[in-house]
Amino acid sequence: MKQIYWRIYAIAKNTLIESLRQRVLLVLLLFGLVLTGASFYFTNFTFQEEFKFLKDIGSAAISVTGLLIAMIGAAQLIPAEIERRTIYTVLSKPVRRVEFLLGKYLGLLGLLTLMVALMSIIFGGVLWLKEVVEIQEIQMQSQGGELSEGQQRMLEQVYEQSRDLGMFQALLLIWLKLALVAGIAVLFSTMATSTVFIVFSTLVVYFIGHLQATAKEVWIQEGTGGVFEKFVLVLVSWFVPDFQAYSIIDEILAGTNVEWTYIFEITGYSIIYLLVILALGGLVFQEREL
Amino acid sequence: MTQINNKSAVSVRGLTKRFKLNWRRGWLLALDKLDLEVKPGEIFGLLGPNGSGKSTTMKLLLGILRPTEGEAKIFGEPAGSMKARQNIGFLPENPYFPTFLTGREVLFYYGRLSGLDHIEIKHRSKELLGLVSLEKAADRPLRTYSKGMLQRIGLAQALLHNPDLIFLDEPTAGVDPIGSRQMRDLMLKLKEEGKTIVFSSHLLEQVEEISDRVAILHQGQKLCEGMLDELLQIPDDLEIGLDNVSPEEETKLKELLESSGLGRARLRRPRVSLEQFFIDQVIK
Repeated sequence: MKQIYWRIYAIAKNTLIESLRQRVLLVLLLFGLVLTGASFYFTNFTFQEEFKFLKDIGSAAISVTGLLIAMIGAAQLIPAEIERRTIYTVLSKPVRRVEFLLGKYLGLLGLLTLMVALMSIIFGGVLWLKEVVEIQEIQMQSQGGELSEGQQRMLEQVYEQSRDLGMFQALLLIWLKLALVAGIAVLFSTMATSTVFIVFSTLVVYFIGHLQATAKEVWIQEGTGGVFEKFVLVLVSWFVPDFQAYSIIDEILAGTNVEWTYIFEITGYSIIYLLVILALGGLVFQEREL
Repeated sequence: MTQINNKSAVSVRGLTKRFKLNWRRGWLLALDKLDLEVKPGEIFGLLGPNGSGKSTTMKLLLGILRPTEGEAKIFGEPAGSMKARQNIGFLPENPYFPTFLTGREVLFYYGRLSGLDHIEIKHRSKELLGLVSLEKAADRPLRTYSKGMLQRIGLAQALLHNPDLIFLDEPTAGVDPIGSRQMRDLMLKLKEEGKTIVFSSHLLEQVEEISDRVAILHQGQKLCEGMLDELLQIPDDLEIGLDNVSPEEETKLKELLESSGLGRARLRRPRVSLEQFFIDQVIK
């Protein structure tokens, strides 16, 4: 058991180090960091709108950058090892294929976690800077004297916006979504060697995952769908995760209070789905001819 | 067909591999009913042109590919099983190890995969870096290694867990004569330690020099298998070796042999191999 852990750990660590050396991924990360940082300079609205704007841009930057890294990174995980023939040296050792797959996935997840953490820190910095600027502005308005009741209320609102604990919920959900997308891309990479095919298939699943909740609403709840539509929907909901579940992120960003129990429910859903995907990937990879 | 021999290092019966081709173009027969026996402690050469099934055979023995038909065992364990792999080291043809790692880091990575702990890896790495003469280059990244050095670090990773059976796929492909000689010497050293080596090569001279037995594959079929002495001997021919013979003595000897009624005698001045000559020149 201990040896299994060490084998998976070694593969994960090697994958993480390797992906950190890939310029494409680092350029993407830089892009995300710059975008998050730059959002500070878009200022033309009331401070409530500006905070909302910062949060939208920041989380979108993390989301999009993460999505690209997850898909491009995962699409290369196994094909690159086959191309370099290092997969043969690894699998000629007493290493199970499923251990190899899990190690590769965890390495990529490590990269995503590192990336989300880094961008979140920058994002937090931007929010803090905004808070400082807004507070200074309010204090300037009072010209060093006592704050009026209105100004006091504004100060409270600034704190409420900048130290919004909901952001942790949003970031957790973004991270979970990325982990799931990476899992799907890894599943496809156990079947194919073409990076383009893997990225494209993952994107298709991602979009279907987003659309299925809408389709469910229209076809089933509004009763407009026929038998065929319902059948397709049932089939799709079996194989494709419901990415619409993560759209709660938008509501959190808009300031809606969401219970942690609901967040944990989505976390549980994501973990179960991920385990199913990785188990399926393991089965496919076990039978794959390399 | 005889039974699998559980005492052999490698025992193969009726091993067949067909690859499905894309777009309904049918099947490719890569290996056709191969029978093979490798005894413990011998160096076994797999010969054959490109596409003859050498690499396919190795991949089947490692469990990287699954046979369409037939059976293969490694020291009595089913090929590809965890138990069989615990006793195998493998160096693929021209592997590209992560170039950002140093030689020592590569060994550490593969050591972990082989199930060794930190102390064992440290100990074995030191031993193996010495064996493959890479102690000085151990802390340099692999991108600064020559092809011969890469093959040697590749051999070291294959030997980490001290396996009894070593597969080497074209171990000297693309390596210069000196690197190739080093690899050959290493293989002989491993044989002395009691290891079994199965290797494939195009360099027939090298195979001839070090193999105990060989098998020749062509279009997925085994054409022959046996001891080199048996396969290469010309029946009824005899070569006599003499030191310090002058040209006059040579003529006399030829006359003497022919006058004794043994028929026409062929006398030939022996040459060193071009490889030996090259190495002597370069090292000088």
